[in-house]
Amino acid sequence: MRTQPHWLERLLPTPSEEYGGGGITRGYKRFSKGLSLILLTLVLAPLTLISVLSHYQYKQLLQDEEMAQLVLNLEEAQNTIEAFVSELQSVLKFVARDDRYEELLSPKKLETLFIRLQDEYPGFTDIEVIDSKGTQKAYYGPYTLKDRSYTDQTWYKEVLLHGTHISDISTGFRNSPHFVIAVSSKHPRQQGHWVLRLSFEAKILQDLNDTIRTSYADDMFLVDSERIIQTQPKKFGQIGEKCILYDTKDQIKRHIDGPLKKQNDISKRAGDMLIVQKTFNGQKINHATVALLNTPWELVLIKEQYLHAPPWRQFKIKLTAIFFFCVIVAVFLIFEISTAITNHLREVDQKRQQLYIEAEQRDKLASIGRLAAGVAHEINNPLSIINQKTGLVQDFMEMMDDFEYKEMMREAHESIQKSVDRCKTITHRLLGFARVTDAQTEEFDINTTIREVIDFLAREAMYNQIHIDFELDPNVSKIISDRGPLQQIFLNITNNAIDAIGQHGNITLSSRQLDQDTIQVNISDDGPGIPEDVLERIFEPFFTTKETGKGTGLGLSISYGLIRKLGGDIKVKTEAGVGTTFEITLPVKQSK
Amino acid sequence: MIKSEVLIIDDEIEFASTLCQRLKLRGVAAVDVHSGTEGIASLTKMNLGIVLLDLKMPDMNGLDVLKKIIEYDPSIEVIMLTGHGSSDSGVEAKEKGAFDYVMKPLDITELMDIIESADNKRCKEQVSYGCKNGK
Repeated sequence: MRTQPHWLERLLPTPSEEYGGGGITRGYKRFSKGLSLILLTLVLAPLTLISVLSHYQYKQLLQDEEMAQLVLNLEEAQNTIEAFVSELQSVLKFVARDDRYEELLSPKKLETLFIRLQDEYPGFTDIEVIDSKGTQKAYYGPYTLKDRSYTDQTWYKEVLLHGTHISDISTGFRNSPHFVIAVSSKHPRQQGHWVLRLSFEAKILQDLNDTIRTSYADDMFLVDSERIIQTQPKKFGQIGEKCILYDTKDQIKRHIDGPLKKQNDISKRAGDMLIVQKTFNGQKINHATVALLNTPWELVLIKEQYLHAPPWRQFKIKLTAIFFFCVIVAVFLIFEISTAITNHLREVDQKRQQLYIEAEQRDKLASIGRLAAGVAHEINNPLSIINQKTGLVQDFMEMMDDFEYKEMMREAHESIQKSVDRCKTITHRLLGFARVTDAQTEEFDINTTIREVIDFLAREAMYNQIHIDFELDPNVSKIISDRGPLQQIFLNITNNAIDAIGQHGNITLSSRQLDQDTIQVNISDDGPGIPEDVLERIFEPFFTTKETGKGTGLGLSISYGLIRKLGGDIKVKTEAGVGTTFEITLPVKQSK
Repeated sequence: MIKSEVLIIDDEIEFASTLCQRLKLRGVAAVDVHSGTEGIASLTKMNLGIVLLDLKMPDMNGLDVLKKIIEYDPSIEVIMLTGHGSSDSGVEAKEKGAFDYVMKPLDITELMDIIESADNKRCKEQVSYGCKNGK
């Protein structure tokens, strides 16, 4: 019972009865296309999937790496600035010990301290000593600021409250960007605290900022709590202006929440940081900020997103190029493979079809043989009776004396006898043909077989005014072979010769002993010859130059197969306008 | 001069009777029967020397009849009549004990030559060994 065909089987074309027609060609084309499609899907789907996954996985990895690098750089810069400020505060706190108030009121002492501090910190501009009432008591520096009262100043209140104060960078009455660090200490003789206040040029912070700005960061600067720029950025504004980065609306925060959480494992202070992805002047950037401890400043670090930078674009171009290269190679190889498989399948199918047709033809031949034998046998019996009766009449006539019309009767009798003999030849030939349709190896004379076969075509040749000549060597060895296939071979080739000549021509069949073990039979015609392009294909199955319906294209193909089976070989010599010779070599003894 | 009596066994009555007449005209003592069974039955009734036996008959195969004849009297020479157009069946019959074979439609001259040969052979054997089975 035929089961439901597997879905892949539906791609396979079924060998058609109309072999060699358009249907089977379309079938194989469909098979080839289907096979290519399946192979392409099997190869390209995983390739595409792997490429896409690799792309996103690598992208994710880079983003995480980029974020980690950003956090580490920010933290490093943060620590450096904080350490610097902390150091300054510590120095001041040390200088502003309770017992040094009186000493620092001395201009000479204050000058000495100033010079010492300036040696250490070149951006140090002036120093002030303020009493517990907020009045400046001593000053050393380039400005005239003596006896100023700071009682109502916010910073003064703050330093009294917290013990230390660091100001924003401002120009103030010094007319130069600077910042101030002030520390308070208990007044030795009065109620309250005295204050030591030092001013630093903003340049000191700028130098520090420029020093720690690594090659990793595209920009780094300080802003205050109002987002006013404190140190000079490369391209994101000017000192004293509000930082323009905070005004951009194109901000994406959510994508980096995840990576930031991961960074908490890398940096303990990552939780204090804020990293926002922004588009600034068409450029995708990461904008990282962190508040600097014990200062009024925030550190800002700007880094162009790697995924939008040229290296990543180049990587994507390379990845795409590799992907398409693989696709092109895969398509080429798959096309070649499916073409090879289809051709192989076609050849196998053709051979199978040829064997089937060959077997069918043999079967038909055997049936015709049996039919011919039956007819010949049936005719043979009455023919024997006619033969005997005419013989009896002749016997009687010979015994009788001469009589009128005896000579005429004798002639009539001879005529009957000749016809009987002719019929006898026909029936014997038919019976002989039928006998060899069953395959068996036997010893026989090749010349007799050639003549027997040609007898079948003699009438057709005669009607077409084609003369058949025999140049058979009577001394050729008897061969041990299968007579049926040989008859078929000679019949096919001679039949083709008759078709090739058409009308008026000659066919010559010759035999000769090539060597002790080999016999050659040549079948030559003086037809138009075989064109070169046709010659290459004459032994291909289903190849025919005859009109549709007149030839199966199997005659020579089957003959070739049969000759090979008998252990022989066939060659063709042809010349346009001269004719064609088929040279068949056969072993005297067919190998098993 | 053919000394042996000849029995023709062939299912084609017209053929057998005409051949019988022609042999008689040539001085041969001939009888015709038209089946294998009749042929075997005739063996006991006649003093037969030669049998002309058709290879294919409806009731019995010629080779089976040949076997029976040889079993009955090996000195009887059997000449097979074959209508098969090939020598194969005749050769096979010869291998099984037939004297010779002739293909139908047969030539009377050729047949007479064979009958004469068979008769000669038979006569020589009778001279050498005497009549078998008291015949």
